[in-house]
Amino acid sequence: MSTLEALVAAARPEAARVITFSQAVREALAEEMRRDERVFVIGEDVAEAGTPFKVLSGLVEEFGPGRVIDTPISEAGFTGLAVGAAMTGMRPVVDLMFGDFLTLVMDQLVNQAAKTHYMSGGKLRVPLVLRTTLGATRRSAAQHSQSLQAWVSHVPGLIVVTPSTPYDAKGLLKTAIRNDNPVVFFEDKMGYTDKGEVPEGDYAIPFGVADVKRPGEHVTLVATSSMVQVALKAADELARQGVSAEVVDPRTLFPLDKETLVASAKKTGHVIVIDEGYERYGVTAELAAVIADGAFYHLDAPVKRLGAMDVPVPFAPTLEDVTVPTPEVVVALTKRLLAGEA
Amino acid sequence: MILESQLFQPFTDEPIAVTSESGEWIAPFELDLGPDELRRMYQDMLLGRAVDERMGRLQRQGKVSFAAPSGGHEGAQVGIAHAMRAGHDWLFPYYRDVTLPLAIGVPVVEFVAQAMGTAADPSRARQMPYHPSSKALNIFSAASPIASHIPPAAGCAISMKLRGTDQVTVCTFGDGSTSEGDWHAGVNFAGAQGAPIVFACQNNRYAISVGFEKQTGSDSIYTKAHAYGMPGYFVDGMDALASYYVMREAVQRARDGFGPALVELLVYRYGGHSTADDDSRYRPRAEVEAWRKRDPIARLRRFLTRKGLWDEAAEREAEAVVKAQVDDAIAQAQAAGDVALETMFEDVLAEVPERLVKQRSELLG
Repeated sequence: MSTLEALVAAARPEAARVITFSQAVREALAEEMRRDERVFVIGEDVAEAGTPFKVLSGLVEEFGPGRVIDTPISEAGFTGLAVGAAMTGMRPVVDLMFGDFLTLVMDQLVNQAAKTHYMSGGKLRVPLVLRTTLGATRRSAAQHSQSLQAWVSHVPGLIVVTPSTPYDAKGLLKTAIRNDNPVVFFEDKMGYTDKGEVPEGDYAIPFGVADVKRPGEHVTLVATSSMVQVALKAADELARQGVSAEVVDPRTLFPLDKETLVASAKKTGHVIVIDEGYERYGVTAELAAVIADGAFYHLDAPVKRLGAMDVPVPFAPTLEDVTVPTPEVVVALTKRLLAGEA
Repeated sequence: MILESQLFQPFTDEPIAVTSESGEWIAPFELDLGPDELRRMYQDMLLGRAVDERMGRLQRQGKVSFAAPSGGHEGAQVGIAHAMRAGHDWLFPYYRDVTLPLAIGVPVVEFVAQAMGTAADPSRARQMPYHPSSKALNIFSAASPIASHIPPAAGCAISMKLRGTDQVTVCTFGDGSTSEGDWHAGVNFAGAQGAPIVFACQNNRYAISVGFEKQTGSDSIYTKAHAYGMPGYFVDGMDALASYYVMREAVQRARDGFGPALVELLVYRYGGHSTADDDSRYRPRAEVEAWRKRDPIARLRRFLTRKGLWDEAAEREAEAVVKAQVDDAIAQAQAAGDVALETMFEDVLAEVPERLVKQRSELLG
């Protein structure tokens, strides 16, 4: 048994208690920082403020300002700094307050972190984790509400993680910190207060293993991150209407668990892929292509996709709320799909 | 280049002030502002504070989603505004500017409607609160990512130079911005090009929670001007008149073809970074209270009172006028109602593309 498998086996459900998504993230970080002194946190307002979302509250009190490092407002700067530190033996966890700021760090992330291992002939490694957020409906408008996971999923050399529950967040973040590659870890900013069962102590969830969040027979809803809860709510409503929906969460966009996605598609014959990023050239396009490729002869209808509308996220709540998929939209599309009308 | 006729020297060790805390005129030159202009500056500050405080209250009531408290910045902002030719010069503001856009002429109803995201918002309910813009008044839409407006501001100024206009660009930001690469790129290029721009830093010594000493090894912002080939002025931003006079000189200098300047206005924000921030985690209350005692509004009021231009009755009347203005603006903004859903699909591109036409018809039926 590998160390990772042993850790997975060590997760004992009886030791679980209910905590929030942000507590799960904080617990994973704290446990990893206690376990491995090479792990440190760097970013804006990570120390006394504990980030604007209060995800890191208490870390600086335990680990001090040397390992929970407040930076000047300089996203490209501290991401590049983490590349240098990771390359020379540290395990930095970069905190990038809003996913929109990926635009600011793309050079360091894409041209340095993702390529250093390859360009050095495998001699230099960049084991950093970049934690950031995604998700709209926080009334933060076009420059603070984007879901840019597709951008980094396009880049060879990066691992992309999209946990949807507190349990997944803790287990996947531990795997990310122990991984020898650069990992981009997306947290749904609207999901920080979501609660779920999380085991105390050490456990890890391997990358590239999807999770069936709800088994079903008639339709597969493949959903990522923030959209898993949307799909589960839609599945509840569909159940009331006599439709059995299976909800599959890939959990990591790269590596991707194609087998679980394809197997579910073969079983139900109907698939809708849901991701909060833009549909065009997006995560849903890749997942739909993978499913169509693997399950084509078992499908009763084309694979459908749901993502954000093609508009910068507007501010007004009445506008913002309709730009991203909702349970109602998923239910309506499912019914049309099953009726052969989609 | 330093001009003989100028009132101020750059790179002073102490912040430039022209009035004392008790409101005495302490500058070695004569005041050349008339009573009306002085009173207008004071009233602009009262309005800015009233709007800001009301937006904070509306945020707590759930009627506005976000506010970036501006209290303590009014003196610097009114000085910047009055140093500009409103509607002629370009302003690249940042999200803590409230008194500044209002003093330039943004109607209160537009500021409030923008914050509330109603149909009375000229930016069509698309931007975060505290991010007003105005085509009519040459005001750029404030950026949420820090300092990403600095290179566009420099580009705007270079455009003015190329087109041979006598416009000046004024670009504001906080101390936090100066750590960003974009800040250095923009300021450097403006210096290299001799662009007509004034970079006005409202230094309140905190980048959200991160104190000034953690942001830079330097003990000031204005000294960075030296490296970019422009004068750097250090100003007491709690002194509205000092802010005005130094900005006026920097703007005039740029207009006359002598290139950019960097002005550091030392201020303090009384509130948190935003309504989502708990500043008690990182700032001692005694520090906040000490700065409140240096309030820019109270200081200008003392100055006006000493000159016989203001009294209790004027204060009461001005407060009543401002309150009515804000009440009225909020009522108008609310009365305008929600923006229509179909407007959301416009302006992504010059024409609505086919995909959006389809998405619009799916939504609206």
